[in-house]
Amino acid sequence: MARKTYSLSKIDSITSKAMMAFGIISASFIVLISFFITIRGIRPFITDNSGLGSVNLWRFLTDTVWLRGPTFISTAYGAGFLVIQTLYLAFLSLVISFPIGVLTALFIAKIAPKPVASIMRGIVELMASIPSIVYGLVGVGFFLPIIYNLARALGQQSPGGNGTLGIVVVLALMSLPTITAISEVSIRSVDKSLEQASLALGASPTQTRFKITLLAAKSGIFSGAILAIGRALGEATAVSLVAGNARSGPNFGLFSINSTLTSTMLEGLKETVGIDYDIRFSVGVLLMIVILITNFVLNFIKRKVGNVNV
Amino acid sequence: MMKEVFKIEGLSLFYKDLQAIKNIDLDIYKNQITALIGPSGCGKSTFIRCLNRMNDLIPEARMEGCIRFDGEECQVTGYDVIGLRKKVGMVFQKPNPFPMSIFDNVAYGPRQQGVRNKEVLKEIVEKALKQAALYEEVVDRLNDSALTLSGGQQQRLCIARALAMEPEVILMDEPTSALDPIATQKIETLLEELKKEYTIIIVTHSMQQAARISDYTAFFYMGELIEYDKTNVIFSVPKNKQTEDYVTGRFG
Amino acid sequence: MSKRKIRQYLLDSLTYISTAISVLALSVIFFFVLREGGSLLSIDLLSGNYHAQGFVGTLINESDETFELGDIIGDKLFTVERYGIVLEQTQDLAGDSVIKVYYVDQASPLRNLNNTDPSANEKIIGLREGMVLRRVSYQEHPTSLTSRGAEAMANDLNDDSREIREVIFSLEGGGIRGSVITTLYLIGLTLMFALPFGILTAIYFNEFAPMNKITKLMRNFIETLTGVPSIIYGLLGITVFVPLTVRLTPASNTNLIAGALTLSVILLPVIIRTTEEALKVVPNDHRFASLALGANRTQTTFKVVLKQALPGILTATFLGIGRVIGESAALIFVLGTAVKDQVRIFEPSTSLAVHIWSMMTDEPANIALSSTIALIILLIVLILNILIKATVFIFSKKGSA
Repeated sequence: MARKTYSLSKIDSITSKAMMAFGIISASFIVLISFFITIRGIRPFITDNSGLGSVNLWRFLTDTVWLRGPTFISTAYGAGFLVIQTLYLAFLSLVISFPIGVLTALFIAKIAPKPVASIMRGIVELMASIPSIVYGLVGVGFFLPIIYNLARALGQQSPGGNGTLGIVVVLALMSLPTITAISEVSIRSVDKSLEQASLALGASPTQTRFKITLLAAKSGIFSGAILAIGRALGEATAVSLVAGNARSGPNFGLFSINSTLTSTMLEGLKETVGIDYDIRFSVGVLLMIVILITNFVLNFIKRKVGNVNV
Repeated sequence: MMKEVFKIEGLSLFYKDLQAIKNIDLDIYKNQITALIGPSGCGKSTFIRCLNRMNDLIPEARMEGCIRFDGEECQVTGYDVIGLRKKVGMVFQKPNPFPMSIFDNVAYGPRQQGVRNKEVLKEIVEKALKQAALYEEVVDRLNDSALTLSGGQQQRLCIARALAMEPEVILMDEPTSALDPIATQKIETLLEELKKEYTIIIVTHSMQQAARISDYTAFFYMGELIEYDKTNVIFSVPKNKQTEDYVTGRFG
Repeated sequence: MSKRKIRQYLLDSLTYISTAISVLALSVIFFFVLREGGSLLSIDLLSGNYHAQGFVGTLINESDETFELGDIIGDKLFTVERYGIVLEQTQDLAGDSVIKVYYVDQASPLRNLNNTDPSANEKIIGLREGMVLRRVSYQEHPTSLTSRGAEAMANDLNDDSREIREVIFSLEGGGIRGSVITTLYLIGLTLMFALPFGILTAIYFNEFAPMNKITKLMRNFIETLTGVPSIIYGLLGITVFVPLTVRLTPASNTNLIAGALTLSVILLPVIIRTTEEALKVVPNDHRFASLALGANRTQTTFKVVLKQALPGILTATFLGIGRVIGESAALIFVLGTAVKDQVRIFEPSTSLAVHIWSMMTDEPANIALSSTIALIILLIVLILNILIKATVFIFSKKGSA
């Protein structure tokens, strides 16, 4: 690198130090976030919450009901089922968005003529930059009525369409551009000679795309899926609009109301104080832990899958 | 008289306005190794890619002239390109095994043609690996990733992959340029064996290699075929001055 | 062979179908937002108040004369000859059904009313054109309500047996001026905090930082910020920035400054990454050339290198604006959810995105106005995307020339 060959004058060393301060502050935000939120998040467990008594950590982690009793007399909170539901909903949404995203990426990178491909890239970029609240709004206004009617047609109960399917559709739509964009880049960067080798063996272009190109791009495609899962786990406002906010669970039914860690953090936020407010920080800490572990596990799988044959 | 596998007449290839190959006439003989030599950018790689129509993949490329494969004109539209590529295998410059197991690599071609029977596939793979002199080395780890093999093994795997299709011709585009001398030697020995059953066309940078292994040598320069003859003729008594300069290393 | 062909067509068509679904998804979003919200979009909406200022007045004197109102054309208009006004059945900016005052005669007794609010400065208030008539209550008769419609209200008012007790009316509400202004403030303040910070950090990492483990660790820390969900940033804001601003400024609660600070942290990794990418492509030759002319590294960095990173910084700015406009979860915590007409930077208010959330979590949800705001957001996002493309296009052309 070039910088090694520079010599430092006095003014440069001052600049360098000053700039380092910015670097350090920027890098410290993640530490700040973890520290302060954890401090707030453990408060309900170690203080007596102004006379209500402390929250039982084990019950908080395993219970299947969010809150037993009214907020101002109870410290019996449970978030275990929320973790299960959050993971369930995120992975279910991936079941929809992953194949669609990857195949769209394959189309853009390998099949579409240049002008079509560049239009499609624009569309994907636009979708990626649409704020989540808009997805939530479209979920409520457009998809919930459809889900409601679908449930009725199937003879199922559905409270206004709110619940699992609504969340899954909204999350799938939101993660679609992420998966498409990342898959497209990795599909495009597949070594051309691999594809040529396949063609030279008499495989058709279609066979080559599905057998060789996707296989060779799998690591990048997997990264896209990991990123999408992370987003889906942390998405808040859009989900909260279509969730129906189940207070107990876990719920798995497609038409039953549901809830996630984030939707529970937002639910009733406007009119609450005390323990019921503080416990949302605990849920926030839980959310960060869930995201961290999920990322870790998926990256581990990715490394395994990367080395082993499929 | 030896039988011609390929009969090429007046072949030209254009990239947009650039003429990469100029009016080439050439016959490739059965069960012979034909080496294509010449400085880089002389059109030899482009030329062999005409023979299995890989140039079709480049939208700007346009071909003129006539190529007959087994007597049939194969450059015309409507010719079964996939059938052609099955009969004309190809090995690339850098070893490029697919990111799958050794077995699956070799079985890839037959599978794409619809061979599903496990026993049949096993036989094909075993035969191809034996022909490529790789079988002994990988017999215990057929299910390991092909990427765990050494460079030379990978290239022999790529040859096995091509052989699994039971082609008539194998095109090789500088197959040893990315390999060390020992791996190169193994491949050269292998080619000697393979020529009993297959016709081999090899593009090479190394004149020594061409002299060592080939029966016929074609010298390309600036998209033109300068001279084509038996290898010993080319390397001992070339008719053309440019050829002589090139093979004796006095070139430009 | 034919079976294989069919299989291939199927596989290929899968990619077409997937692409069609992606396109369809985007179309649905635009179609829905246009259909639901397109009709409400107007300059009045952007510049109008959200909360309608209300008045309660009583008659000063009951007059016995009736008014000649002539022929009023329109099936949504209803005349009240007894008081000389014309009522209109219509919608307000937010799309709610209301009764508006279409015409008030110069001599109408409703023009001058006693203000029942003793604390108000204006003792005399009056009904004017364009105001919204909410309720009229009578002595010993049931009140006329908005929900019964303009026709019923006009009939009640024309009824000679009824004696008006109170007239409840208001200015028109439902505008989103407050949220527009908050959003603009947020964009300005956030960029003001985040841009210099992000750019300087990027310069540090690309031009000055030593290549060691600590630098790598710092980079990793910053990169990790991208994966943190925005709701967590909301928690950061409420634990760090809100108390900080409460202590240092006149603010007493969630406020706009804290919101902008929170957003700045969210933008930081984006700005750092985008700027660094732009710095990386500046050829080292340019640095050497400047150094060879006797400039020191500081001068080289700020005079030569930074100038060439301009497109990257511009792109980062556009990306940042998009993120600020779209952010909702974090701001719900840090900025609050109360829609304000008078925006002050040390007080809570709502951005456009939070305004949507606020209305969608109300009972009943106002999908029409939410869609209009969403439409505005979508248009801005579209423009930003085009601007980013244009930036890349213009500067890459310049670079190659």
